[in-house]
Order: sequence, then C-alpha cells, then structure tokens
Amino acid sequence: MRSSGGTISPLAMSAAHSALQSQPGVASGAIGDKGMPMTEGDEPVPQGIDRAQGSDRAQVKATARILTALSVFASEVEDLGVTELAQRLGMTKNMVYRALSTLADQGYVVRDATSQRYQLGYRVLELQNHNRPEPDLRALCAPFIQRLQEMTGETVSLIIRALDYAVMIDGIETRLPGTYRMVIGSIHPLHTPASGLVLLAMSSDDDIQSYIARNSPLQINGGQGTLPPKDLWKRIRETRERGHAQVIREDALPMLSLGFPIWASGNQLHGVIGSGGPLARFGPQLPAMLPHIAQLLEELNQRTRLYPADPQQWAIS
Amino acid sequence: MGDLVMAKPTGSTVNSSALYVFEVLRFVADMPEPLGVTEIGRRLSLPVSTVFRALTTLEDAGYIQRFQNAPRFEIGTMPYLLNRALLSRFALHGESRPVLYELAQTSEDTISLWMRLGWYGVRIGGAFGRRDTHHHARLGDVVLLHTHPAGRTMLTMLPDNEQSDYAQFVANHHADSAASLDNGWPHPGGGGEVRRERTEPDSVRSSSVAIRDQNGAVVGCLASDGAAGGDDPSLDQRLCQARDTLEALIAAAPERYRSPFAHIPADKIQLNLASISHAKR
Repeated sequence: MRSSGGTISPLAMSAAHSALQSQPGVASGAIGDKGMPMTEGDEPVPQGIDRAQGSDRAQVKATARILTALSVFASEVEDLGVTELAQRLGMTKNMVYRALSTLADQGYVVRDATSQRYQLGYRVLELQNHNRPEPDLRALCAPFIQRLQEMTGETVSLIIRALDYAVMIDGIETRLPGTYRMVIGSIHPLHTPASGLVLLAMSSDDDIQSYIARNSPLQINGGQGTLPPKDLWKRIRETRERGHAQVIREDALPMLSLGFPIWASGNQLHGVIGSGGPLARFGPQLPAMLPHIAQLLEELNQRTRLYPADPQQWAIS
Repeated sequence: MGDLVMAKPTGSTVNSSALYVFEVLRFVADMPEPLGVTEIGRRLSLPVSTVFRALTTLEDAGYIQRFQNAPRFEIGTMPYLLNRALLSRFALHGESRPVLYELAQTSEDTISLWMRLGWYGVRIGGAFGRRDTHHHARLGDVVLLHTHPAGRTMLTMLPDNEQSDYAQFVANHHADSAASLDNGWPHPGGGGEVRRERTEPDSVRSSSVAIRDQNGAVVGCLASDGAAGGDDPSLDQRLCQARDTLEALIAAAPERYRSPFAHIPADKIQLNLASISHAKR
C-alpha cells in the first residue's frame, strides 16, 4: 500500500484517469539475457508511428498499456471494440490496436471475425493460483478507497450491513483536523448514517417497512430524539433519486457525509463506500468532485458486479 | 517449474517486451508459495533488475501483489477479476446460482457446476455446503476430464468415438497424464444416473451427474462433494432434480446457455495446467 492522506490538488481530481497511465520509477540499464528483447534494436518498430518506443522506459509504458487494456475486460461486458477501448483508456486507436494484438497473440483476448470486436480468451484461466484465496470485498475496494481518499482529502470508509446495522470494515482516515474517525467494527443503526441510508434505500420497500417495524421508535442523536418514519422515507426517496446518500449533521461543527452503493451481481448490494468531513471544507468542493467520484465508483462497480452478494450477510436469524 | 520459454512474436504489432512480462506473470501464478525477486530471477535465469522491472509493471497494474507487505510476490486481484469476467460469459454461471445454493443448503455438501471447455472441465458455479471445511473448490478450476471425478462423469457419457479422440488429445498434449487414462475409467449404468466416487486419503464422496443439451450432447456436470460417512439416499434424487432444472433452462434457450467457446473444435483448445492442476475436486 502506498501512503495516503494529503490535500487535494486539481490533478488529483482526475486520479481515475491518471492512475491508468501512472508509471513506476523505472530501473534503468537492465539488459535482458537469453535473447530477451530488452534493447532498442530488438523492438519491432511499427510503421510510421510512435517510434519513441525504442527506449526501455517506452517499452515499460507500452507494456503497462497492454495490461491496462486487458483490465478493461474485467467486467460483465461481453466484448469491446477498438474505438470504445481507445475512448475508455484515453489512448490512440493505434496504441489500443497494438495492445490488443499482443493480448490476442497470448490468447488472453480473441477477436470475433464477424463483429471485429474483442472478447476475453479462455487462457486467462491459467492465471490463477489455487493456494491463494479469492480476493474479498476489502481487496476489491482497497485501491479505490485509496484513490477516493486522494480525491476528496477526507476520511473514506467501507461499510457493510450486518442485521440492522451498518458496520465499518475498512477505510482510510484523513490527516486533516476535525473529521470522522475511521474505526473498524464501529456500528450504527441503518437509519442514521449516509452509509446506512444507502443500504436501506437500495433494498425493497417491504424490507424497509419491516426494518422500521423492528426498530421503532427510530432513535437518533444518541437517543436524544427520534426520527419519524415519514422523514426516513423522504431520505430514502432522495437517496434513490440521487443514486447516493448525502447527510448533513448539524452540530457545533456541521459535518457532511456521503454514501455510495457498491453493487453485486443481480442488482444486490455488497456494501457502501462512504466519505465525510466538515461541511465548510468538504461541501464547497463537492459539486465539481461528484462526477469524478461517480466515474471512479463506476469503475469499481464493474468489478464488484462480477461477484454475488454474500447470501449469509443479510440473514436475520 | 522449467526455464522461461519465450513466445515468438507473430507480427510486427506484437509488443515483444510485453511477452516476457507475461511469462513472469505466468511463473508467479504457478508458484506454490510467494517468492522474492532474487529467487524468481534465479529460477527463470534472468537478471534481478529485469525481473524487478517486470514485477513492478505487473504490481502497478494489479496483476501481482506483495504477500503481507513482504518483498515476496503472489498473483494479484486482476487475474481473478478476469477469471470472473470470463465465467460471467457463461449464462449458467449466474443463473444456476439459486439452484446450487438450494442444493448446498439442503445437502450441506459443496455443489459444483462444471461445463465442458474442449477436453477440459471448468468449474463455472459453486456453493459451499455447511460441512465444508477442507475443500479447495474454486470457480475457474480447470481439469482434464479423466483426472477428476466430475470430469470422469462427463467422459463416461461421451460416445466411443469421442472417448478415443479424448485419449488421442491427452497423448498429444498432456503425455504426463496419459498413463492414468490407460487404467480406464469407471463406467456407470444407464445414462443420466448419478455416479459416485470415493477419494482417499481425505475420504470424500463425490456424486455427480452429467448435464445434456437439447440434442443429448454432454455439456457439463453437476457435482456434490461431501464427507464419505454422511451418505444421504435422497441426495441422488435432489441432484437429479437440480440437473433437470438446469437442463430445462438449456433446452428452453439453447443459444443463451451455450458455452461461449462451444464453437471452437475441442482439439484446438489447449491449456497449460501447471497451476490449475492443484484443483483436487
């Protein structure tokens, strides 16, 4: 894991995009042996374009592009065309075409002769190790939590539902003053935090009714007050319309928190990624930031939709 | 684990530098335990600096990762996502789920749905039973048909000429597995019946039944693995009911439920099973 924290910069706003093109510090001067094509002369120079590929650094970049192009297939999408991939990746069509050629040569993608579009090849089945467990929700979300934290500068957390509670299971706490704490294992009734609202709003009306029935009166403010069910329904409608939850907590230091659904296959929920901070700091930058957050979470959701929600997780026993 | 074998670029558009990065990736995928850069370089007979650069590129893209923050590497999240993405192209991967969960819950066994991929079987669906504590069942497992109980069930249901084709394929491409094929495989009674096997030393009972398409061709297998002691006579019946449900789905929309690779001749599909042969059942 790389270090986290720090303030937001205009560049960080496009982190979703730039991370795709980020390059490691490249160790220079490595000369491959055994005929490894590590030198300039061995690189096949394509006709007319991108001759800068000769250096080691350019080769590493080209290789990173190939891996990035393959990663786009890690979703429920059936096939992809060159133009579509170029747009998604911010690469030229020629770069994409060459990346796909290498991937096709390896059998990781195959081109449909009729549609000219590319699909995953069965050789990706070889890239597994059966001594290593499958990645869980935390592993899927971790890189995105990190990017969201860099984007917002605020605390970001991962929340799942357990019975009638929202439980924090992972996250990164900001180093800025006056913020939400990120406490693994902390729980809240579903009707109070933004994360809980998402978990409720994305379930069926019947489920919400029975939640209200089980937990009435709906206590808020640490038991100092109650939330009328009609007010909860209003918040649920707003959350559904917006596609995410926004909650402002009026306090000595007013706080703004957001909750975004993390989707599983079959329109079920894995959980929620939340981010929050002081309203005065987080609020003003939010309008400009939301489209970028949405883009980042769409990328994550393409991955998490490949997995079913844990059928045990929501069981009320 | 052998030395690195360079794949030959087939055209000028193939990035030859990337080819050896993929070789490093496949090597990492095959390693039985996480290894450091020096050890990987030694086994591949490559300079550490070269391996380091390949590992860095792969790590940055999520294809490999450090094990417990140590300077030792293992396969990362991205290959598992690609694996899932591939499985999601089998319509039965998602749509068989309720059937498999139900069966796992009532039987307490681990249920697997296998589909044919050429002469291999690939586990495209599964549900863990409550009593399952020692299985290593993973989605995306690939086995040569005769090396696995569920695969053997599919194999025994194939017509004689296809069985000969299979034997030829194994001799040509998986010679090290050919000897076990010479011993023959158990033939069950009439078609569609549940086949049972017990494997030692872990004493697991594997019950499986072939799945056929609307033309009667064997396209997959439904398997239930559990403790050998806990034989439940009604299991066979439930297994067959679930099989019937899946076959009815397939018959109603054959195109939809066809394997996305069904159009490729079986002999053309060849996989390196170095890592995936860890799959026991």
